[in-house]
Amino acid sequence: MEALTMAAESLLTGNFLALLGAALAALAGIGSAIGVGIAGEAAAGVTAEDPSKFGQALLLQALPGTQGIYGLLIAFMIMNKVGVIGGDGMLELTLRQGALILTSSLPVCITGTLSAIAQGKTAAAGIMMIGKRPEEIAKGMVYAAMVETYAVLALLASFLMLNGITL
Amino acid sequence: MAIAKMKKLSVIGLSREREVLVKEFMRLGVVQISEQDARLSDEHWSRIVKQDDGETAAVKWDTELERVENALALVDRFCEIKKPLLAERKAIKKQDFEEVLASEYDIRRDVLKLTRLSRKLAHAIVAENRANVVKMSLFPWREYDIPTEHFSTRATQIWQGVIPATSDSSDFLKILAEKTQYTDAEVVYSDSEQHYISIMFLVQTLEDVQAALRDLGFNRITLPLAQGSVQEALLAAEQELTDIAAQKEEIIGKIREFKEFEPTLKLYHDELVMRRDCAAVRENFLVTDSTFYLEGWFPRIAEDKIQALLARHTCYYETADPKDDEQPPVLLLNGKLAEPFEAVTKLYSYPDYRGIDATAFFALPYALFFGMMLSDAAYGLLLMGITYFARKKYALEGMTKQLMDMFFYCGIFTLFWGVMFGSFFGDLITVVSSTFFAKTVSFPTLWFNPVEEPMTLLIFSYGLGLLHIFLAMGLSGYMSIRDGQPLEALFDVGFWYMLIIGLLLYLGAGAIPSLPPIALTLGKGLSIAGALGIICTAGRHNKGIARITGGFTSLYGITGYLSDVLSYSRLLALGLATGVISSVFNTLGSLGGPTLLGAILMVIAFSIGHPYNFAINALGSFVHSCRLQYVEFFGKFYQSGGIGFAPFCENTKYFKIIKEEQ
Repeated sequence: MEALTMAAESLLTGNFLALLGAALAALAGIGSAIGVGIAGEAAAGVTAEDPSKFGQALLLQALPGTQGIYGLLIAFMIMNKVGVIGGDGMLELTLRQGALILTSSLPVCITGTLSAIAQGKTAAAGIMMIGKRPEEIAKGMVYAAMVETYAVLALLASFLMLNGITL
Repeated sequence: MAIAKMKKLSVIGLSREREVLVKEFMRLGVVQISEQDARLSDEHWSRIVKQDDGETAAVKWDTELERVENALALVDRFCEIKKPLLAERKAIKKQDFEEVLASEYDIRRDVLKLTRLSRKLAHAIVAENRANVVKMSLFPWREYDIPTEHFSTRATQIWQGVIPATSDSSDFLKILAEKTQYTDAEVVYSDSEQHYISIMFLVQTLEDVQAALRDLGFNRITLPLAQGSVQEALLAAEQELTDIAAQKEEIIGKIREFKEFEPTLKLYHDELVMRRDCAAVRENFLVTDSTFYLEGWFPRIAEDKIQALLARHTCYYETADPKDDEQPPVLLLNGKLAEPFEAVTKLYSYPDYRGIDATAFFALPYALFFGMMLSDAAYGLLLMGITYFARKKYALEGMTKQLMDMFFYCGIFTLFWGVMFGSFFGDLITVVSSTFFAKTVSFPTLWFNPVEEPMTLLIFSYGLGLLHIFLAMGLSGYMSIRDGQPLEALFDVGFWYMLIIGLLLYLGAGAIPSLPPIALTLGKGLSIAGALGIICTAGRHNKGIARITGGFTSLYGITGYLSDVLSYSRLLALGLATGVISSVFNTLGSLGGPTLLGAILMVIAFSIGHPYNFAINALGSFVHSCRLQYVEFFGKFYQSGGIGFAPFCENTKYFKIIKEEQ
């Protein structure tokens, strides 16, 4: 029991929480991977019918990939802030600072993951659409961009929170 | 605004001039000839005229066209002719075009030759497949040495067949021997799926053998042999394959001889397309025994040319402005700077003929927003370079040309914002100078760095968004005034302007104490007046109690404006994404320190990271800039649903025939 408490105490530091935040932010990539995967399945189907649609389908397939980038962006900013990269070693953070950083990563982590999956489905539907009407690709893109709005807002929330935390 | 005014043309002419006239219309390419279904179902008309028959000729040319397309595909496939990255039409003088066509007889003969070669090749491939099938099905029997002639004698028969690999072959032989008399069976070959078995038996025991084999799950097969033994057949198949390979080689060699013929083939293709179109357009003509009638739309600016053309022929014609119940096709006309942005309008939908072409209004915001989202000086230069190169190298037309020009302009704004925000491949210059040269040199930042002052840029983005939305509302008001309903403009746009500006003033005056107190009063007054106006007028189209409640529910629409403005935060977010991801790659590259290995790492990180970042963010900027136009901007006023103007013209694929007049 005592060992467990000690382990918890040594783990539960500000630095640990901050890095946990960076890790969570980067996990938004899971959503993007699933989303791009869903869109890719549809793209392969459409390309099988007409290989000349490869480029168009690829454009739509790439759209759900941005959430992963937003996640990486926040992860990078956290690492930069706490000095894991680009500084002279990691700063000593208090538990409170670590918890704040962890909190700031949540919007991009959760919204990013779920919105990327939803966007993947929308992009897949858009790809189906260009299978029949390739000239309407812009509409398919805009449908997918409607979903992305919320990932953008989450990125903004995470960014502004993180930017507001002073160490 | 920038929707070309259309006029309707009606022509009655003599049938003997029809063909020449159709050709001249095609050459001019400014008239869209309309279908005449309504006239044909009209009793007065249908008593006099009937639909012209162009189908027979069109089908004839289509068949020839298909043959040429196949021939072209064949030549392209075997002559390794590289397809250009972007499709372009080569310019050619009419004279040169016709000179090539003078030898049409020879061209057609060559097309026939190619068609024949294509058929021969197809036959060779079928024969090859057949030989391969024989080879594969005989392969398990390659050790089997009984010739076909012995399979059936007066007293004996030899059967071949398979049992699944899951059954035990020695059991099979044992049981067969037990159940039948005078039978000799042999396992010729076994693979992972089946045992291949040959059975010799007396003809008189046929029924016993059949029954036994059925119980044992034996599946009789007929070997693909005409005569001789399996070995001989395999050798023959092998020989056949070699022969076919040589034959194919020869055919392909002959096809390759047509490499020089490819441009001629393309030219002939284009000529056939024009002939087909000339024939097909006649479906829209009405004819009597010696006259024809046609109707079409043309842009008013082309009226002189059409009159000049028709004056040369014996015909009667009329031009008229569109009636209110007619829907003319839509042709967008914009100045040189706005014209490329028509691509964005077309990707959405053509405006209604009586609506408004917003291209000129959103061209600047589009490029501005695109630039803010990509916001990197180097990426801007890159985008400008790529599009400039594409325009110089290829003779682009239509949508592709417009998109290239549009991205060129977007590149200028990307460069502009890159300089404003001090971003050149992100912070590449800073990172490289401090890692390798131990000095800190930075790309100059003209305004501020958005990563350090995100709030400033966020407010700025909202401000731009508000202007953009105000512009859209203004266009909506303009349309009402133009249609003679200035009150609608006041009710639906004016009051909202008052409310939003008033609220901004009021909130602004509350937040910034240095503003004079008059701002507060003015803001309060304006917003109350606007809100009252909306409550009183927004329900005017409803009936009964909804006239009053409609006003209140409409006021709730303020949340819509709020969310529209918030949507512009993507300008900041996507701009940050470009910048921060750039610096991720730059930082990765700098991890090796100031050594040779470090320099190699930097080059690798640069050459993988930046092209990727550029591509994904340019795509994102394009999509999101479109979205801001389509959803936030068009949503306020745009009436879509027009049909694009598609004039009857030389719709060729490979060659563009230059007009001599120019």
